[in-house]
Amino acid sequence: MDSIVNNYRQYHNTWDEMFTEEGSIRELYTEFGSYLESVPVENLNKMQEFSKQFFMNQGVTFTVYNNKKGVERIFPFDIIPRIIKEKEWKIIQSGIKQRIKALNFFLKDIYHEQFIIKDGLIPANLIASHPNYIREMRNVNVPKNIYTHISGIDLIRDRDGEFYVLEDNLRTPSGVSYMLENREITRRLYPKLMPKKKVLPIDNYPQLLYDQLKTLVSIDNPEIVLLTPGLYNSAYYEHSTLARLMGVELVEGSDLVLKNHNVFMKTAGGLKKVDVIYRRIDDDYLDPLSFNTDSVLGLAGIMEAYRQGNVVIVNAPGTGVADDKAVYTYIPAIIRYYLNEEPILKNIKTFQLSNTDEKNYVIENIDQMVVKKTDGSGGYGMLMGKSASKREIKDYIRKIDLKPENFIAQPTLSLSTSPCIINNELTPRCVDLRPFAVFGANGISVSPGGLSRVALKKGSLVVNSSQGGGSKDTWVIKDD
Amino acid sequence: MLSRVANNLFWMDRYMERSYGLLNLIKTNYNSTLDTGDYSSWNNIQKTYMGIYKSKPNDEYLDTISIINTMLFDSENPNTMSNIVIRARENARSVQEHISRELWLSVNKYYLHISNENLSINFRNSDPIEFVNEMLQFNHIYYSVADITQERGNAYCFMNLGKYLERVVQSIEFLSLRIINLNDKDQKLSESFFWKNLLISIGGYQLYVKTYKSIFNVENIIEMITINENFPRSIRYSIIKLYTHIERLNNYNKLNDRQLLFHVGKLKNSLQYSTIGSIKKIGLQKFLDEIKLDLNNISLYINKIYFSQSY
Repeated sequence: MDSIVNNYRQYHNTWDEMFTEEGSIRELYTEFGSYLESVPVENLNKMQEFSKQFFMNQGVTFTVYNNKKGVERIFPFDIIPRIIKEKEWKIIQSGIKQRIKALNFFLKDIYHEQFIIKDGLIPANLIASHPNYIREMRNVNVPKNIYTHISGIDLIRDRDGEFYVLEDNLRTPSGVSYMLENREITRRLYPKLMPKKKVLPIDNYPQLLYDQLKTLVSIDNPEIVLLTPGLYNSAYYEHSTLARLMGVELVEGSDLVLKNHNVFMKTAGGLKKVDVIYRRIDDDYLDPLSFNTDSVLGLAGIMEAYRQGNVVIVNAPGTGVADDKAVYTYIPAIIRYYLNEEPILKNIKTFQLSNTDEKNYVIENIDQMVVKKTDGSGGYGMLMGKSASKREIKDYIRKIDLKPENFIAQPTLSLSTSPCIINNELTPRCVDLRPFAVFGANGISVSPGGLSRVALKKGSLVVNSSQGGGSKDTWVIKDD
Repeated sequence: MLSRVANNLFWMDRYMERSYGLLNLIKTNYNSTLDTGDYSSWNNIQKTYMGIYKSKPNDEYLDTISIINTMLFDSENPNTMSNIVIRARENARSVQEHISRELWLSVNKYYLHISNENLSINFRNSDPIEFVNEMLQFNHIYYSVADITQERGNAYCFMNLGKYLERVVQSIEFLSLRIINLNDKDQKLSESFFWKNLLISIGGYQLYVKTYKSIFNVENIIEMITINENFPRSIRYSIIKLYTHIERLNNYNKLNDRQLLFHVGKLKNSLQYSTIGSIKKIGLQKFLDEIKLDLNNISLYINKIYFSQSY
């Protein structure tokens, strides 16, 4: 029979989430496969169109300014969910908890005694010269010893079918609102299929987050606020959604004021004390007195209020030192050092270009490498050896030679693919997975699934929304 | 509630009310040109509402269509419908945690409707009244959604402050623009379509006919727009509403500042004890000027007490 399922052409040498190498449908996708075989592709197109309209009407958008005229854009969404077995999820979940726990110990250590440096596991200059190592945080006792309250760990499934950690995001990563909205729309797209599959719920994430934030202070009814850079930030939708769903105030820097080293917000009824700030602005903009002096997004003097323990900042300033690509290579060692456990989730083999042998190896095999700047993010400033031109490679190597310690390299990965509806066809696209974890005094909780990001360009490995990526709903389905 | 949020709620409703007034104005002026063929009536409107002083010649029907098109869609002019709705929606977007979900959806849909590029193309091929009526539906939905879904608290009060303040300003403008100079156009007083359109443009035709029957005269209209207690677009009606919401805000926020309440209360009472006779005695222009001055003070107090960012 000629169905979109039969016409599916897998990428070579790549793990596919729905199909086995031989082309048969994996067990966890059985019902979904028969659904796709039975439904005309026009219906799927209609569903795709419906979801687009849904996001538009709800205002799940960001604004792109073109010639002073704002145009609303949505983050592309693909209607076919990515499915993960609960059994596999449990491993991911415990791996993430282990990783965050270790990274949190690591942060506490490098901002206090620095045992890990003294024990020779991590070179001192890696930390000392690190742009995200914040001296203002030295010897600050953070509430409940938690630095990484909210994190998103980027995972990929390599061709061997195993999950690997690609990157840790410890600087209050974004995307969780898309996880929530994707589920909201998927529920309506598959009204018959979804209840049958027993998908683990995620919609309590805002309550979970609120409850964890509440544990950070010992006040009965703490005033928790979400600090946003404002309406024109591309993630504003997320800020406003989280504030709305948690029932907390969404504040901008100009709404806050400092009095006797306490933070207050300006309300119609006068000043009101703020206890916990879930900030969605970078460290650099947090306090013009301590960091970037030009910043008007934060609040002058907030760091002093924080040091005195009068306000909790979430995530703690200075977590960027632990989620960077140079420290990444040390994470297996960090886990062993602080927890005395073997890492549950593996790292991707990474070469440090500061090491001459490794650098030479990378340059010799550059066509199989992805080279990244250690302080880069969002998919910028990297070189894909496979697809780059000779000239691009030459220019890039010159940059590496100038400051090799700023670069790392990894073998070109093969991200697993998941079927998408594109141009009336079922066609594979690369996906990653970003689960979100919340760390409070009650421990670490991970929302089941997370955001599956999709590289919508054919053959592309870049899933970042700023570079043509989209997303899918992620179902973790209960084992029978 | 944050001062900034209060301010944005205020402006959200103020812009929505402004868009409503503008649409009604466009509709009725277009309507009246159908009777009179007096296309120059757009000049004053463009001056007052769009800030356009150098108007292009407009002496035929097609000019009217392009004027309306400009008033609706010109992205360069901040006073056009599309820009007013964009600002209402920006304000709504910044206060989503404080308005009902349904209200946000209704504003966002309005915005998506008006910023659709095909809309202005469609306009050229449709009946302007029908076209404007379709837009007005979004305003009507907004008002009713606010009424049935918005919790009665700080947010609701600030929204209403914006709405009624804008409405008083519109009514005063209406009186100064279209009524005060009527003596110059005496011949029109007998033409019933003139009166009819004038009253329709502020939604007062039915009430007028019920109250004053067929006698059209300036005094009756002035009386209705200034001091009628039951006409939702009269100055007095809006001031009574302002008073109610300011009083509530005072209670919610446990403020000791009685000055604002005092000012609105004074204005409210002075309107209550005004008659068309007393207004004539002062002179309509002076009467309106005094109200404007009062409104100015009231706005300043609202700003100082609730929106001010300095402590």
